[in-house]
Amino acid sequence: MGIGILALAGAFLLVAPLGLKPYGIFILSMWAVMTIAAIGLNLTLGYAGQISLAQAAFVGIGAYVTAWLTTKGAWPFWPTYALGFASCFAVGWILGYPALRVQHHYLAFVTLAFNTLVYLVFRNEEWLTNGIYGISNVPRPSLFGFSLKGGREFYYFCLANLVFVSLAAWWLIRSPWGRAFVAVRENPIRALSLGVDTRRYTLMAFAIGAGLGGISGALYAPLTQFVDPTPFALGLSLNLLLMVVLGGSGYFFGPFLGAIVAVLLPEWLRFAQGYYLMGYAVLVMVMMAFWPTGLLGLADRLLKK
Amino acid sequence: MRGLIAVLLLLSGSAFGQVKLAYVGEISGQLAVSGGNFRDGIILAVEEINARGGMLKQKLDLTLYDTQTNPGVARAQMQKAIDGEPYTIFGPVLSGNVKVTLEIVKQAEVPQFIGGEAADLVTLGNPYMFRTSFGQQIGMPKIANYIRDELKAKSIALIWVNNDFGKAGRDQLLRVLKERDIRLAADVSTEAGQVDFAADVVKLKSANADAVFVYSNEEECARIMREARKQGLKGPFVGDTTLLSQKTIELAAEAANGVVGHVGLTVDAPIPEVKAFGERFQKRFKYKPDHNGLKGYTAVYAMRYVTEKKLGKLDRKALAKTLHGLTITPKEEPGILMETTWNDVGEIDRISFLAEVVKGQQQIVKVLPKLGK
Repeated sequence: MGIGILALAGAFLLVAPLGLKPYGIFILSMWAVMTIAAIGLNLTLGYAGQISLAQAAFVGIGAYVTAWLTTKGAWPFWPTYALGFASCFAVGWILGYPALRVQHHYLAFVTLAFNTLVYLVFRNEEWLTNGIYGISNVPRPSLFGFSLKGGREFYYFCLANLVFVSLAAWWLIRSPWGRAFVAVRENPIRALSLGVDTRRYTLMAFAIGAGLGGISGALYAPLTQFVDPTPFALGLSLNLLLMVVLGGSGYFFGPFLGAIVAVLLPEWLRFAQGYYLMGYAVLVMVMMAFWPTGLLGLADRLLKK
Repeated sequence: MRGLIAVLLLLSGSAFGQVKLAYVGEISGQLAVSGGNFRDGIILAVEEINARGGMLKQKLDLTLYDTQTNPGVARAQMQKAIDGEPYTIFGPVLSGNVKVTLEIVKQAEVPQFIGGEAADLVTLGNPYMFRTSFGQQIGMPKIANYIRDELKAKSIALIWVNNDFGKAGRDQLLRVLKERDIRLAADVSTEAGQVDFAADVVKLKSANADAVFVYSNEEECARIMREARKQGLKGPFVGDTTLLSQKTIELAAEAANGVVGHVGLTVDAPIPEVKAFGERFQKRFKYKPDHNGLKGYTAVYAMRYVTEKKLGKLDRKALAKTLHGLTITPKEEPGILMETTWNDVGEIDRISFLAEVVKGQQQIVKVLPKLGK
C-alpha cells in the first residue's frame, strides 16, 4: 500500500504543474524547497533527538551564499550550491558543540540565540549582505545548457533536488550512521557503552541537518530571485519545527506532510479571507492536541489497531 | 438583427463586463495598520466609482491578497494576483515586498501603484511602477530645511527602526543633514515591534541635541513618545509622516502633543476635498484614516482618470505610458483630491505640509509647494 501511495504522490507531483497557473507552481516549488530544509531538521531532531531552532539561519546562509556569489560575484550556480551546503555543514558542526554539553530546552535556547545572531549579521553587516536592502535579481540557473528560468522548469529542478535529498536521507537513515543517530537519541549512555562515538554522531547530525538547510537556501534564492534578512528570522525556524513535529518527528515522510500543512494549507484556507490565519492556528492547535505524534504517528497508530 | 446582437452581447457579459483590480498588501502582520488603511482607501474609491456606473461602463472588481508582511508570501500572492490578469495592481505598502515582487510585475507589464516609500524603488527599472506618496529622497530634504530654518537646530539625536523603511529613511536623512551642516549627536537603532524604549531614550537624552528625530512605524513612534515624556526628554520632537499620523496620535495620547514634522498626505489638510474624503472614509470604516488611506484612494482615481478620460479603453501599456509625466488636477478628476504629477520614472510630486500635534489633533502649520513649482 505504501508503494502505491508513493507512486500516486509522485505521479501527482509530476503532472500537477501542467494544470496549474504560475502561482500554483510557485507554491509547489516553495513546498519542495521547504521540505528539503525540514528533512534536514528531521535528521537532527527526529532521528538524533537534538532540538534545533536554527534551521532558518542555515536556509539563510545557503540563500545568501548563492545570491551574493551569483549576482555580485557572477559565479555559476553549481559552485555556489556546493558552497552553500559546505558552509552550512561546517557551521552546523560548530553549532553541534553546545549540544555535547546541554540538552532539550537549554539546547533550544542556544540554537535560538544562534538564529538571532545570524539574522542580525544578515541585517546589519551591510558590506557583506547589503543589509535590509537585500540582494535583487538573483538569476535562475541552467542545467546542461537547458534554461530553468521558467516557473515550471524551475519547479521540476526543485523536485529533482527533493528526490535526490530524499534518497540520500533514506540511505543515511538505513546506514549504520542512521542507527547510531537513533541510538544517541534513545539512550546515549548505552550507545556509548556499545562503542558508538556519541560525540561524533551528535556533531554529524547537526552538520548534515544544517547542510540540507543550506541546499534549501541555495534553491530558495533563485526561486524568489530576491533575498533579504526578513524570511530568515526565528519565525521560519519555528515553522520548520512545526513541519517536522506536525508531520511526525522521526518518520521519514513526516517533513513532506508537515510542509503540506505549513506551506500549502494556509494558501488553501485563504477562501476564509480575514479569518484564514485564525482558522489555520486553530487547526494546528487541534492537530497537536489530539495527534501529538504528528500525522504519521496517527496513521501508524490507526494501522496497528 | 441588431437587437439580437445586442442581446447576445449582453448575455456574453461584454456589456456588463468587469475590470479586475488587485490589492496585494499587508493586511496582516507587522504593517497591518498601514496596509489596512491603504486597502480601505482603495475599497472606498472602488465603491464610489461602481456606484456611479463603473469605469468605461464596467464595474470594478477588486480582489485582496494578503502578504502577511512577509516577502516570501508577498512573492506568492503577487504571482496569484498576476495569474488573475488584473488591469492594475495596488500595493504592496512594505518597501521590501515591493522589491521582492518587482521582477514579476515588470514581466507581466501590469501598472502598479505602490505604497512603499523607500528611496530606491522607482530607480529599480520597472516602468509600470508608480508611487502614491513621496519617496524618502523627496520628503527628507523638506524636513531638513525645516530643522535648519525654523528650528535653527545645529544637532540632531536620531532614533529609527531598523527595517527597510527606517534604514532607507535614516540613510537619506543623514545625507541631507550633512549637506546642511547639522551634526548627528546620536544614532539609535531600534527593532520593529519593540516594546521597551527606556534604554534608547536614555541614549537620546545623553546626546543633549537641539532636536530629536523619530523615524519609525506608527506603534513604535507612539511608544517612543510615551517613554520620552516619561523620562522628561526635552524636544523638540521632529518626524516625517508616521510620527504625526492619526494612529500614532491615538496611541501616544497626550505624549504626542508638541510633535512637529513633515506630512506628505493628511486628512487634516486645509483642503475641502480632502476633509470630505476623511468624513466619507470615517463613515464607511468607523475610523479616521491615515496617509495610507489617501494613498490607496487617490491611486484608484488616477487609474480611472487616465483610462476613461485619456485612453477611452482598457490598455495596460498605454495607461503606464500616459501616466508618465502627467499632471492630474482636482478640477479634471475630483477623486485625485490634490494636484498630482508623476515624472518619467513614476516618482510623485504634489504639495505637502508641515504639521504640529496640538491637543491630540494634527494641525497644519504650513503648506509646502510642489517641487516642480
